[in-house]
Amino acid sequence: MSARKKSQRKPPPRKTPRRKAAAPATPPRIARVAKGKKPQYFSDPAIDKLLWMTITLMEELSVTRDRLDAVERLLDRKRVLSRQSIERYVPDAKTAADRAARRAAYVDRVLRALQAELEETTGSDAPLTAEEVVSIVDS
Amino acid sequence: MQGFKHHAMLPETTHDEQSRQDFVGALRGHLSSRVMPGAYKVYASKVEPAFKAKHGRAPADQEEVRKVMTQDPFYQFWSAMQRRSQEMLWESVIDPTERQLPDLIDKARKIGRKARGKLRLDPKLEIPRYHRAADIHLQPGGYHTDFTADDIAAGAVYDKGINLYMGGGLGAENDLTGNTLLAYVREKHPDFKPKRILDIGCAIGNSTLVWARAFPKAEVHGIDVGAPVLRYAHARAETLGVKVDFSQQNAERTDFAEGSFDLVLSHITLHETSRSALPRILGECRRLLRKGGMMLHLEIPRGRTAMEKFMHNWEAYNNNETFSRFMTDIDLVAEAVKGGYSKDEVKTADFVPQLDVAQMNYTEYFAWKILEGVRR
Repeated sequence: MSARKKSQRKPPPRKTPRRKAAAPATPPRIARVAKGKKPQYFSDPAIDKLLWMTITLMEELSVTRDRLDAVERLLDRKRVLSRQSIERYVPDAKTAADRAARRAAYVDRVLRALQAELEETTGSDAPLTAEEVVSIVDS
Repeated sequence: MQGFKHHAMLPETTHDEQSRQDFVGALRGHLSSRVMPGAYKVYASKVEPAFKAKHGRAPADQEEVRKVMTQDPFYQFWSAMQRRSQEMLWESVIDPTERQLPDLIDKARKIGRKARGKLRLDPKLEIPRYHRAADIHLQPGGYHTDFTADDIAAGAVYDKGINLYMGGGLGAENDLTGNTLLAYVREKHPDFKPKRILDIGCAIGNSTLVWARAFPKAEVHGIDVGAPVLRYAHARAETLGVKVDFSQQNAERTDFAEGSFDLVLSHITLHETSRSALPRILGECRRLLRKGGMMLHLEIPRGRTAMEKFMHNWEAYNNNETFSRFMTDIDLVAEAVKGGYSKDEVKTADFVPQLDVAQMNYTEYFAWKILEGVRR
């Protein structure tokens, strides 16, 4: 808090001190949604999205079960703790915060269907219709 | 991934990243072996009989099959899940690639400095409209988008992605298509020893390397329109100890000299082009061949019955393989003739490989189509 106030009062130094191998401010991002109109599979597009989410939930549950399995096997192999102690575990504040961040990323992943629709309907580079793509390859 | 060979340019995976890829593999294996065959059963037992009752005949072509099958609830679920599995496939590979992208780019730069093969990029090359119109195979950004300077992401994503796509069936170095076409040459032309080879639409050079290894004395070139896949192809080839010269060029008109190649190849590339590009590409292949030189294109099967044709074309309608839909009826020999071949210089052949049922995404019968041309 105090450091932030100080920097507000004082203008930043003109010359920034040299830092070794500064990482780029924003790491490169790769697109997650392919260009091209997504087909509608069911009479109600909501079903398309629900299936999307359901399969993604399947994936994440599978990942979690794998991870849990790895942890339990490692703990068991090293005789660190019993399964009962896992049942009784209560997270501390730091752990709870870490879990919250991971949970937010998880929700984002599962609900990407909605973001994809947003990109398609409001993005600057709106996808061509299927017919438009056909006419291009057929020309 | 079963049997997939790790190399320096492939992103590492954390526990969860690997687990996601494993899930995608399991899901796609299940869809191919347990769900997709159901679409054929539903068609035979329900959809086709209903059509016959209404029209007094079976569906005449894949378009008529499409009209009724896309209304069937079982097909709808398979199709929607197949689509989602394709999207998830890329997502599961993009996550670890993005996380390690700056390091992978550095690695490619370092490898590039000591490389034996050349890499020639052309930032002025116009990416063909048929390539830009939609992201082929749903790979976000396609094969041509640079997300950052000296980007290799599209290549790294493609390398792991196509292996997941075939459930590992593309082989340890994604070399199945190269090996298939090589097997065809070994069988039909055992004495053929090309000295200069060109692979068009080579992407990450996974098939190109097969030819460089099979003919170690040959000078081997790979061309593609996408810069990020070529940077990756170059670093990948070097890291695997194979010398190939890669250049960013459109196969419709290259800068190679006329008659300068003994062998010009493509591996499942033609169906990603367009109606006007196809004969131009085939004509360019002929121009590049010396007298007696050979052109070989490996293409995906198109199916035998109306229902098989419909299923084979799932990717055309659902996986941004837009031009693929026309390939069912396109006569490759006629296209080659349009491009400048005489009729007696070209022919097509079916070539049947051995594949596991879990790797057949749309059918239980699978024969590659090969277009062969010899410049006389």
